[in-house]
Amino acid sequence: MATAPASFLDPAMLARISDLALLARTVVDGFMHGQHRSLRKGSSSDFAEHRSYQPGDDLRRIDWRVYGRTDRFYVKEYDADTNAGVIFALDASGSMDFGSGAVTKFDYARFLVASLAWLSKSQGDRIGLATFKEELVDVVPPSVRHLQLLLHTLARVSAAGPSRLVHAIGRIGHLTTRTGIVVLVTDCYEQPEALGRAVAALRMGGHDVIVFHIVDPAETQLPGDMPATFEDAESGALLPLRPGDLRDKYTTLITAHHAALQERFTSAGADYVRLDTSEPLDRALHAYLDARLSRSRVR
Amino acid sequence: MGIGFLVPAFLAGLAALAIPLLMHLRHRDKDRPFRFPSLMFLEQLPIRTSQRQRITDWPLLLLRALAVAALVLAFARPVLTDQAAVGGDTRRKAVVVVIDRSLSMGYQGVWPRALDSARAVVNALGTGDRVGVVAYDDASEVLQRMSDDKSQALAAISTLKPMSRGTRLAPALRTARQMLLDAPFAAAEIIVISDLQRAGAAGIAGIDLPAGVKLRSIPVGAATRANSAVRVIEARRVMDGARSLLAVKARIQSHELPAARQVKARLTVNGRDAAGSEVSLQPDGETVVTFAPVPAPDDAVALLVSLDPDALTADDTLHAVVPRDDAVRVALVSSSAGAAGEALFLERALAIGAAPAIQIDRLASAPVSREALSRTSLVMFWDMLPSASSVAALQDYITTGGGVVIAAGARVAAQRGGNLPLLPVRMSGLADRLADRGGTLRDVRIEHPLFTPFREVPDALNAVRFFRYPRVDASGEVDVLARFDDGLPAVMEQRIGEGRLVVLTVPLDAQRSDFPLQPAFLPFVRQLVLHTSGRDAVPLWRATSESWSLAPSVNNPVVRAPDGTLLRPQADSLGTAVPLADAGVYEAFAVSATGAAVGRVAANAPTSESELTSMDTTELLLGVRDAEPGSMASNAPPTTAELERRQNPWRVLLIMVALVLVMETIMATRGWRAVARRVRPVVPASASDRSPS
Repeated sequence: MATAPASFLDPAMLARISDLALLARTVVDGFMHGQHRSLRKGSSSDFAEHRSYQPGDDLRRIDWRVYGRTDRFYVKEYDADTNAGVIFALDASGSMDFGSGAVTKFDYARFLVASLAWLSKSQGDRIGLATFKEELVDVVPPSVRHLQLLLHTLARVSAAGPSRLVHAIGRIGHLTTRTGIVVLVTDCYEQPEALGRAVAALRMGGHDVIVFHIVDPAETQLPGDMPATFEDAESGALLPLRPGDLRDKYTTLITAHHAALQERFTSAGADYVRLDTSEPLDRALHAYLDARLSRSRVR
Repeated sequence: MGIGFLVPAFLAGLAALAIPLLMHLRHRDKDRPFRFPSLMFLEQLPIRTSQRQRITDWPLLLLRALAVAALVLAFARPVLTDQAAVGGDTRRKAVVVVIDRSLSMGYQGVWPRALDSARAVVNALGTGDRVGVVAYDDASEVLQRMSDDKSQALAAISTLKPMSRGTRLAPALRTARQMLLDAPFAAAEIIVISDLQRAGAAGIAGIDLPAGVKLRSIPVGAATRANSAVRVIEARRVMDGARSLLAVKARIQSHELPAARQVKARLTVNGRDAAGSEVSLQPDGETVVTFAPVPAPDDAVALLVSLDPDALTADDTLHAVVPRDDAVRVALVSSSAGAAGEALFLERALAIGAAPAIQIDRLASAPVSREALSRTSLVMFWDMLPSASSVAALQDYITTGGGVVIAAGARVAAQRGGNLPLLPVRMSGLADRLADRGGTLRDVRIEHPLFTPFREVPDALNAVRFFRYPRVDASGEVDVLARFDDGLPAVMEQRIGEGRLVVLTVPLDAQRSDFPLQPAFLPFVRQLVLHTSGRDAVPLWRATSESWSLAPSVNNPVVRAPDGTLLRPQADSLGTAVPLADAGVYEAFAVSATGAAVGRVAANAPTSESELTSMDTTELLLGVRDAEPGSMASNAPPTTAELERRQNPWRVLLIMVALVLVMETIMATRGWRAVARRVRPVVPASASDRSPS
């Protein structure tokens, strides 16, 4: 598998693009450039419609008859290809508004959701969005026509306030009766056991779940050595401490937390991808496509 | 080493040390707290509590505690009380011994005590200490400048003796202060050895002693202050037929006598015992002794009234010089026989007086020759003005002490136009007050010597009616002594050199006023002559602090002092001034001290010296700024306050506070403290390595 040019996917560069649509298109185009092997294999027997050929489409799905008539490339769409509904669940709590590098976790998450939405839309999926803090904040129902609405909602949402992640996941499961893919983008500041149970409930409802765990490098290692007062981004609580003295114990705790998350999500049948805000988005896109293909009923 | 505090109550402020301690224990960053996504894991760490309460910046805490402690200690005014440690008595010091040598120090037993005290002070000084000696009476004299030679100081003290002079402490303190300023020393002291007469303390309130200079007094006054003094001599010449006699009265003041005292008063005339009188002095108060009139020469007479000596002998005698009794020769210049008739009342009135007698020479024109003028005490122009040719001579005559009177009448009033000769006044006609029954005098300057006879009876002049008198416009340079009730000048005077010029518009004849018929006429014209001729202003004696001005006419003067020494005072443009240093009679001679004296004057100590009332040392020290009552004890060890003032450690502490605060500011804002919490974590290399390949 070829690697997309990193310059198109680097978060520091993407942060300079204010238009989410342009950003998502840039990411996806850069990612898809050079993907000679189509990610979509096989087809259903239930023809639905023709659509214009997009780079990355399987060449075998080109309708040569239509090409013979119109001298343009069209591919055949089958019902099974467009049945996938994707709901992006974005954590907009205050803890996401943290960044020690070029972008905050929330910005990185928005880039990620926008790019995945663009990718999904380009592949004919119905896309929806749910942002949540303690409760659901913005909900965009899944639809093939909701990309612009989704991007617009993403552009204006901001991260602040406390969160109830487990509660929000439960509410997301009730957004649609149709099964689909739930892409959960969060920093996972919740007990792994509770999160595992919440995701397992989604899985019981027939949803495929991909959890993107957004992590800032500073979260894994306490910054600074001199005494400082730490403020909780969600509750505002203050805690004076000397990071240098606590770093080792903290790292141990956070590593154990990540391991527990991995274990709980995996056992619940969900895909768990931990993303560092300093790394490019292509690993996330790959992970998503892999999950997308594994869920597709049409090959 | 002992440490004391002048204001120990301020030590309670050390409790403020808890403030920086609590500040450090409860330290919160003044910068914005570091926002972290979640404290979920940090709050699980068990060492959180101990972390919060640990002091993290010990140097800063110690600096702040040191600043607070130093500030509190400065307010508490610490002092090192250990003498050896502070060098209180062993330190070199500068001492100025100020010795009173006024007349009152001659009181029985006082002077030996003063000398003993001064010697004791000098002998008590340590090696290397410096001492200066200042003697004072009504002035101060530096007998020895600051020196570490104690023998010189003792020798200077030995030369001292009480003088017949007054007491003024203030100049002596200023002199001592200047000596200490010129040679500054860490420990400086001014020691006043005096009987502390209250009269001598005038002026000390304005003296500001420099910080660290201690003022100490050693009172040496007698316990009893019984004293009698001859305060005043009154003498007048009386005529006994053709004989001139001198009638003398003396006033004797007594203070705090234990009982009435019988003494014998003696009158000495020109050095010969002339009269005596037994007198009983009251314990307190004044006693008048009247001597029988004694024959006296017409020349100036030296008088001495003395009492039986008491504890203070210097004020038991009083010298006086009665001036020469030569007749006052008045040159009355009138233009015509008619005018002479107008002056008849004046002539008769002046002829009545005696001692001195007034001799009138009637002239038709003013004398102009030097010889004629030298024989004349006063030139009086009766309703006429000096001729132009005589003005210059009269000008010189007045300048050298002569007197001129212009009695202006109708004839002078008719000379309108320019100023009168010798005097800047202008005539402008005649004022006629017949219609309103005559004018009166108003605005009489009764304090002027010309009106001395009327000070007790000022209404005597108001009874006089003036019907016609000249109108005069006087310029500002003329001293108007009296005005008519219409505002016109009536009596004007101008001093010219040593003499006087008086212009009268007051009519002195019976045709234009009723003045000659009034009782005030005779004393007025007599005082007019005596005042204008300068015969009324000669005091019988002067104070020893004054100077005697010899007339410029005395060539190359020689003055014989009371103790017989001859002085040759230097003359200047204003004449010759002779300082009257001692009590007694001074005689002035021309060229050499032989023959008849050209002038005599008596000098006595101020009468205030006989008032022996002393003041408390506290009162003296309170008068001088920076002197504390606690420092008056003669040989007491220095108090804590004195030690503290000498050491002034609070200033050092305050400077230390300032320096510590500067250091605290630098340390509190030093870069590494602030930067530490702004450190951004470095992106771990492993993060980028996780990119899919």
